[in-house]
Amino acid sequence: MRAVVKNRIGVFHPQGFLDGTTAPSMLTMEDIKATEALKVEMLLVSLKKVVFFNKNGLNVFIDLLYSVQKKSGIIVGLCDYDDKKYAAILKFYNTELNFSLFKTHKIASLFSSSMQEKDKSKKSILVWQEEPSQRSALAIELFDRGHNPIVCQTQKEFDEKKSQADLYETIVYQTFLGLLGSKIATRVTGNAIIYTVGGFLDAEISESFDLNYHQNSLNVGFTLFIFDAYKVISMNIHAVNFFSKLASAGAEYGANLCIIGMTFEKTPENFKHELEDAGLMFFDNMDDILKDKKLLKELGGSGGSTAGNKRALNKVLVNELPRFISATVNTMEMMTNAKAEKQDASVGELKVDNINEKLASSIGFYGNIDGMVVLIFPLNIAKKSCELLLGEKTDDVEEILDTLAEFVNIIAGRVKALLAEQNISVDITLPRTYENVEDLLATVEKRKGVQVNLNFEGEGFTFFLTR
Amino acid sequence: MVTQEEIHAYIQTIPPSAKTLKEVLSYLDKQELAKAAQSASEDPALKLYLQNIVNKPIYGFKNDIKDINQIFSILGLTQAKQIVYNYMISLLSPKKWELFELNTKSFSEIQDRLSLQWKKILEHLNIKDNDIYTSISLLPASIIVCEALFKSKQENINLLRASNDLDYNTILKRLSGMDLYDLCKEIADVWEFPLKTSAIVLASKGDKKDLDKETELLSKWMHLLFFYQLSQPLAAQAGLNDFIEFNIDYVQDIYEDFQDLIMEENA
Repeated sequence: MRAVVKNRIGVFHPQGFLDGTTAPSMLTMEDIKATEALKVEMLLVSLKKVVFFNKNGLNVFIDLLYSVQKKSGIIVGLCDYDDKKYAAILKFYNTELNFSLFKTHKIASLFSSSMQEKDKSKKSILVWQEEPSQRSALAIELFDRGHNPIVCQTQKEFDEKKSQADLYETIVYQTFLGLLGSKIATRVTGNAIIYTVGGFLDAEISESFDLNYHQNSLNVGFTLFIFDAYKVISMNIHAVNFFSKLASAGAEYGANLCIIGMTFEKTPENFKHELEDAGLMFFDNMDDILKDKKLLKELGGSGGSTAGNKRALNKVLVNELPRFISATVNTMEMMTNAKAEKQDASVGELKVDNINEKLASSIGFYGNIDGMVVLIFPLNIAKKSCELLLGEKTDDVEEILDTLAEFVNIIAGRVKALLAEQNISVDITLPRTYENVEDLLATVEKRKGVQVNLNFEGEGFTFFLTR
Repeated sequence: MVTQEEIHAYIQTIPPSAKTLKEVLSYLDKQELAKAAQSASEDPALKLYLQNIVNKPIYGFKNDIKDINQIFSILGLTQAKQIVYNYMISLLSPKKWELFELNTKSFSEIQDRLSLQWKKILEHLNIKDNDIYTSISLLPASIIVCEALFKSKQENINLLRASNDLDYNTILKRLSGMDLYDLCKEIADVWEFPLKTSAIVLASKGDKKDLDKETELLSKWMHLLFFYQLSQPLAAQAGLNDFIEFNIDYVQDIYEDFQDLIMEENA
């Protein structure tokens, strides 16, 4: 069985009956390894379509998940269960519950290290757990990931608040945090990436910081990186070196690194000067940046261009162009059940004739070769492409954008497989979507690439490959 | 990826049932076992299939049975008809499976298990209708159809399924408007299976409303039985556990009965 991987969360969906005899056939070490290779941050087993399970059956899955947890430090656990299943799991594992439990997949996604913050006017998240220490842990982890948790102190309070479910973005209950991942929590607010750090920062920060993710974010056009350091007690010289190197590496891309809320009561003041010399900026509050539109624009947090990144297309990338086109066309044909026709191709900056009624998405890749694929869809084609994944027609732009992100992920997965046949190894970044094509144009401004215009049932579709 | 034209082309490849098979089924309908056996003996492939089937340990007969008359009399009318139906479905299966890790033997094993457990369920429900009895034979045709339509599209399907929790049946339905159950019905129509047989299989997908009480009840048992078998190591190793979507809510009210009847026996 293969996992479904979305936003770096891998989920296995077994069906039917799980016991000691059936479970080993459903999930094997090979399945786990294949999923691990996709660099997931969380690996879960969904019990949604499991009608029967016993402890022997669950143990098979839990043991496999533990082996991954031990090796790569990611979050592992179970999700999508009802009241009866939750009670059974607690009964089976009682004091030995070291894995996480998430009532739903949506709740699990709130605890992923890299989560996309979508709703700018987001509602609060209602939290309830019988066990006080778990209750606090849930609230802290949610807060670190940019949410507003409201924690209930009693069952009665929870029942009352739960009855007004529409006041909350999500209700987190029957959820238990086992060993959490060792990666630094990351979230995206508009065009800024926020990393949450805490405690004593030392050489270990290099281990827990996902450098690949950061590099890819630079590649796909992010320039504002904020370290939420309210909970940092102190840092040593190794951490200072880490931040300095990160700032130097980002300079090529015009990146701005900011540290928020850091007090220097227990940290030498000269570290601050050293970091400022390296280009880092310090602010007392997050809102000092996020609410200051002028400053945000200056720092690149409102979708500015990546003037620093003007890397040219190279021969290797151009040689592989047919594979990129083929992957895109095949995927489009698969999703729309329609034939694609190539119209024209050109080398230069991205040109889009009419930006209205269009959506876009992009995804970066890195490894033996690196670059970025950009796709621009007329709204009608975008809607049609999403029907297979959604199972129905929709006019909800947010839903379409979400699905386009999956869509571009499928294309990148296919590119990765095609390149692997040529012994070219690449990894792919999280996809990014644009409701407004202008934002995309600002991101790829002055970047040269190959543009291919395609036609699907009379409507134009643009493919652009750049670095 | 899978177009209506491809589906239509597939339906065209379903051969009409052979004259001998029609005769055998006709005699079985008329309750003439001896004549059915006589007709069956004229088809060497069917004869060999029956000999292999009844001598499997799962059927529990102690002695090695070769004589076709003896086979029919041991099986009786209902079971003989069910096995002939299983044989007809097996004729559609590919020589070499590519999408699922199956072969003739393992596919037949899944058919046998479904048949015997369906028999047990009908005994439990005190249902003695032959058309209902044989309906289970049609269900594994969904596996064969899925193999035929998707085997050349594995790469696409794998990519799609890696990013979305979609089963083959849902993909097919969204692309073409028809699903695997509808295609089972097409097979049943080509082979002139009784309407009741295909109606139960169609209902067993678990999304039909306004069913009569008996069909609704039987469809629930069939749905749960299918997923019980798809959870077993043989089917799970073949990649069948999630090829079609299990509707857990549909079977909630019969689940405990099922547990007592089928699972306890195998515990």
